[in-house]
Amino acid sequence: MSRAAYLVLQAFTSLRRNALVVLAAILAVFVSLTLAFGALVVNELFQVNTTRWQEGVHVVVFMKDDVSQAAQLDLQREIQSWDEVEETSYCDKTCAWLEFKEMFADQPALLEETDASILPASVRIKLTDVNYYRDITFRLLDNSAVRKTVTAGDRFDQLSNISNILNALGLSLAILLGAASVVLIANTIRMAIYARRDEIGIMKLVGAGNWFIRIPFLLEGMIEGLVGAILAVGLMFALHQFSLDWQEQLPDWIDPEVSVDFLLRWGFLTLALGVLVGLIGSGVAMRRFLKD
Amino acid sequence: MILLEDVTKVYEGGIVALRDVNLDVQKGEFVFLVGPSGSGKSTLIRLMLREEGTTRGNIWVAGKDITNMPGWKVPNLRRSMGTVFQDFKLLPNRTVSENVAFALEVLGRPKTVINRQVAQVLELVGLATKGDRYPLQLSGGEQQRVSVARAFVNRPPILLADEPTGNLDPATSVGIMRILDRINRTGTTVLMATHDHAIVDAMRRRVVQLERGRVVRDQSRGRYESFRSDEDEPQAKKAAPPVEQPSVQPPPASEDLEPAAVPEPEPST
Repeated sequence: MSRAAYLVLQAFTSLRRNALVVLAAILAVFVSLTLAFGALVVNELFQVNTTRWQEGVHVVVFMKDDVSQAAQLDLQREIQSWDEVEETSYCDKTCAWLEFKEMFADQPALLEETDASILPASVRIKLTDVNYYRDITFRLLDNSAVRKTVTAGDRFDQLSNISNILNALGLSLAILLGAASVVLIANTIRMAIYARRDEIGIMKLVGAGNWFIRIPFLLEGMIEGLVGAILAVGLMFALHQFSLDWQEQLPDWIDPEVSVDFLLRWGFLTLALGVLVGLIGSGVAMRRFLKD
Repeated sequence: MILLEDVTKVYEGGIVALRDVNLDVQKGEFVFLVGPSGSGKSTLIRLMLREEGTTRGNIWVAGKDITNMPGWKVPNLRRSMGTVFQDFKLLPNRTVSENVAFALEVLGRPKTVINRQVAQVLELVGLATKGDRYPLQLSGGEQQRVSVARAFVNRPPILLADEPTGNLDPATSVGIMRILDRINRTGTTVLMATHDHAIVDAMRRRVVQLERGRVVRDQSRGRYESFRSDEDEPQAKKAAPPVEQPSVQPPPASEDLEPAAVPEPEPST
């Protein structure tokens, strides 16, 4: 049996020996990481949905008709230079009329009665972060060229609040349970060390290297963390699939589409986090119970 | 091979286990460490194994000062020393062969080497046919022979034995001593702490006597009890063990035990 195989076998033997406690540790990691990962996904959902609203236009600034087009374009340039603004586009009266016609194409009477000249020119603003909409609105409040600023602000606020609360709740629970996971893993490792104490004593006597003694315990902790993380990531992917299948039943302003890319990226990070929790757990146990 | 210079060991609570101990053991020597319980014999062995540090003084093993040896070098130090204890320290869930092989496995020796060396050393201790037994299926003497085999399988230059015959009856002890003697004759330095008068008197090797942490006697070809003169025979010597093998009573001319039925070990590789 090679050394590596020996070390891995030791870890698995030990996992089997303490199956029940190991299960508890794995479940704790699982729940903790599910909460952490879930909070991330909720956050991402919020971002995705709000950026996509109205094709990414977060704020529409309607201009006064008595302001020259040159002044309007100046204002657009000024807005464009603000840090919070990712993109602006200018829509003059002609453009507004075209949009209007398109929007009410099925109501020819309305179109006939509407005078194209009453439709204002506008600057459409896409923000780097939708939460800036209030600042932008406020800044444009006293601008003499601006007739009115329109945003989907209330919905932003609602969603943003929900998302923030869920994030805070999810993350704090995740941290608490993360700490519990570390303790539970440390406990399984402590039991493993205790179960093998004679063997460890003999290993030391015959001159086994410190790492040769430690590696099985590190592996054991890592496996516990990793399995918990795999369960958490698996659950997220399953939920994602589930939400796609039931899309019609969700309110129409929520798009459950979170990119697979996002899930993969954070999924891997979650796995790494699981391994890390396992390593910390076994590290704590070895420091306390495995004296050199 | 082993050199102690003014070694003092004070445990927590101020208990002085060793006091200014000086000891120089040459390569290939066989040294008995004698003295009553609590005289510091075991502490001395623990210090040599670096299971504990000295309070004062220095210890050299195989030319290396182990007093301030960093922790990561300690495993290497222990590989140069085989250890045998009174309580055998065998793993009950492993067979005899596996117990002996364990010492080589943790050093990462290749399997072919392990198999060969285990077979050789089991032959040396006379357990060649019992490799597949489990420790609890063996007698105490046999278990101790497994433990000696494990200590020697790596062919360390030094063998430390802490009361290796403490749990064995006199006849069985003789068997163990034969093996230790044999190992010593391969050039291995043997240091053995013991209470066993009969063995020390029979072997007539160097005796270092400790009392309350001090070396009170260091005598070549000594006996367990000290006498004014080396030639003095005790009037009321402690009863010699009822040994079946008369060979342990050494012939005056030779300090070697009669060659035992066990084969010579292979020279260390």
